[in-house]
Amino acid sequence: MSMSRHTRTRSLAVLGALLAPLATLGCASGAPSVPGCTSVTRLAIVAQSVPGAAYVPCVAELPTGWRVTHFETQRGRTAFSLLSDRADGRAVDVRLAGSCDVQGATPLPPRAVGGRTYVRLRSISPQYAGAAFDVFAGGCVRYVFDFARGPHIVLMEEMLAAVELVPRRELRLRLRTQLGVELDR
Amino acid sequence: MTTLPPGDGGRGGALTPVVATATSGRRRRPSGSPPPLPWRVERRTQVAAVLVASTLGLGVAMSAAPVLRVVTSVDVAVLGVLARLRVDAVTRVAEAVTAIGSDAVLRTAAWVTLLVLVVTRRWRHLVVYLVVTLTVAVLVAEVALALGRPRPAGVVILGEWEGYSFPSRPVAGAALVLVAGLCTVVPAGRLRTRGAWAAALLVAALGGARLYLAVDHPSDVLAALALGGLLPLAAFRLLTPDEVFPTTYRRPTGAHLELSPARHGAIVRALDQQLGLTVETVELFGLAGSAGSTPMRLGVRSADGRRTDLFAKLYAVTHLRSDRWYKLMRTVLYGRLEDEKPFSTVRRLVEYEDHMLRLLRDAGLPTPAPRGFVEITPEREYVVVMEFFAGAVELGAAPVGDAEIDSGLRVVRKLWEAGVAHRDLKPSNLLVRDGEVLLIDVAFATVRPTPWRQAVDLANMMLTLALRSTPERVYARALRQFAADDIAEAFAASRSVTLPTQLRSRVRADGRDLIAQFRRLAPPRETVSIQLWSVRRVAVTAAVLLALALGAGLVASYARVVGWA
Repeated sequence: MSMSRHTRTRSLAVLGALLAPLATLGCASGAPSVPGCTSVTRLAIVAQSVPGAAYVPCVAELPTGWRVTHFETQRGRTAFSLLSDRADGRAVDVRLAGSCDVQGATPLPPRAVGGRTYVRLRSISPQYAGAAFDVFAGGCVRYVFDFARGPHIVLMEEMLAAVELVPRRELRLRLRTQLGVELDR
Repeated sequence: MTTLPPGDGGRGGALTPVVATATSGRRRRPSGSPPPLPWRVERRTQVAAVLVASTLGLGVAMSAAPVLRVVTSVDVAVLGVLARLRVDAVTRVAEAVTAIGSDAVLRTAAWVTLLVLVVTRRWRHLVVYLVVTLTVAVLVAEVALALGRPRPAGVVILGEWEGYSFPSRPVAGAALVLVAGLCTVVPAGRLRTRGAWAAALLVAALGGARLYLAVDHPSDVLAALALGGLLPLAAFRLLTPDEVFPTTYRRPTGAHLELSPARHGAIVRALDQQLGLTVETVELFGLAGSAGSTPMRLGVRSADGRRTDLFAKLYAVTHLRSDRWYKLMRTVLYGRLEDEKPFSTVRRLVEYEDHMLRLLRDAGLPTPAPRGFVEITPEREYVVVMEFFAGAVELGAAPVGDAEIDSGLRVVRKLWEAGVAHRDLKPSNLLVRDGEVLLIDVAFATVRPTPWRQAVDLANMMLTLALRSTPERVYARALRQFAADDIAEAFAASRSVTLPTQLRSRVRADGRDLIAQFRRLAPPRETVSIQLWSVRRVAVTAAVLLALALGAGLVASYARVVGWA
């Protein structure tokens, strides 16, 4: 009988070892893991999605009340969503791609050296909705927003402050230092 | 547990040692020694578990930059070598091969497997399949998210990619659907072996193509193989072992166990050591009439060299679980039929059958003489042994005259007098030999039954007899042993649900409305309701409905999580 108990314990141990990772899933599966501006590896995959882009978007620090609701990256583009608790459930969609259509957009002071920033409004009232663009060599970042009139000024400021643009050459250097690999070849 | 040999009753002579005996036969399993068929985890399953754990450990370690740097440098070196070998023709082939890991292909394979499992009603495989695929899908996604590894750097990436690199999601997905499909749909043996080679080839081709195109690192592919291939393999071996849950398309129903060489040997050893029986042959016998156990015929050589047959039933955890589910569903559909309480362990089930055999024998019922039971795997597998009715034929296949009718009705009369109900009277549990009806399979018999239960026994016996005769004849003979009111009560209580499945299907196939004919013959009596509502039934029904609703929700989210929707 002791043998039986022994084998059962061992079996349970093996089963536990196989299924134990499940127990940690609840802890890990919170917000999507959007690239922070200090994470070289996570920024690297964003840079890899659009190989020629001179800048890579990242989330510097989320203002109070904001969270990331979606993140996906694949060859050709990276997209993520930011949601404020004051935005009535309407998330800002941020997307890095090789190019953007900025026709009809109004220029704003550029957010990155060598780049250009635009905004194109679809509506002013009752919703302040439209898209903003950061255009640079080899790519662009598009922000689609839809805020209620009133808090929209603060929300626009917070949104643009939350998303920073990291120069590709800086990222290339950091990746070479940390992992010993070349980002572009 | 051992049935002791008949002693000399203290009539002199040296006493035969029992516990101290160490020679073959009637030797108790000493405490601490392994049982006849130990339940152990196979070495390869343990190795698979270790490799899966190591992969997860590697994932954790790679979150440290120095480890990631080392692993990446090795990976990039390998990819560099492969990149130097690139030629256009091979690149085109590699791009085509990556389709093996595409969502469309994996989704189709997964749904086909699910469909086969549902159609063939292999519910255990289905549940394990769902749990395993969900586990792997979530695990792969979580590890990828937690580590956030980029795609190979320093090498030109040629193929399409999506998401973080470690572990390779397409390779893990392909390994998962192929391994899970093989373990649940393909029967063990040559076919599965060939399938395993084909699967290995496909996954290797996919992994190789992705490395050639520099879409994944080598460590991404290896980790995917561990999580997508080895983890499901170990889980299926642990939770649906082939010897207990064989994948077969020959017998769609029943919970019969395979008589594998290991189990065959264990049964022979156990019968020798625990009951002192020298068993020469063990063969499956009468599978069609038994769904709740695995029946066998044993060829036994006695001390004087004579060969006799014994009947045995192998019970395992799977039978116990089937019994629980069966009773749970009956509770929901029909209410508690007074005492549908499931057995708590396999041992209890076997002990109970052995006890009932002895009780009914003492009551003078024509049941097999009990020969005890043996333990094959503690708390998992037991064999109960009894007399084999040589020369007897199933009542459903024998000619039935007045002698057989009287004998069958006498069985019920004796059951009533003994205060016992058989609860499973049907053609395959009633044998005929020399005009006498013999009663087998007493596992579900109950002592101190309600009058309702006793009445149902009478009705089932009369229906079984009438299948080979006429209701009028059976009714006329029954009046010699039972009051007309008792017979009326029996058919007032009788309805589809009170008939064992085999009897119900034979009555349907017979074409005559036997229950109605008996009711016409017997004095009029109001039918007895079997819908017994109780707090337990309400609670169980509510729990089942809740579980179904949750299940539907889970399936919907499940399909989204594993990417099948």
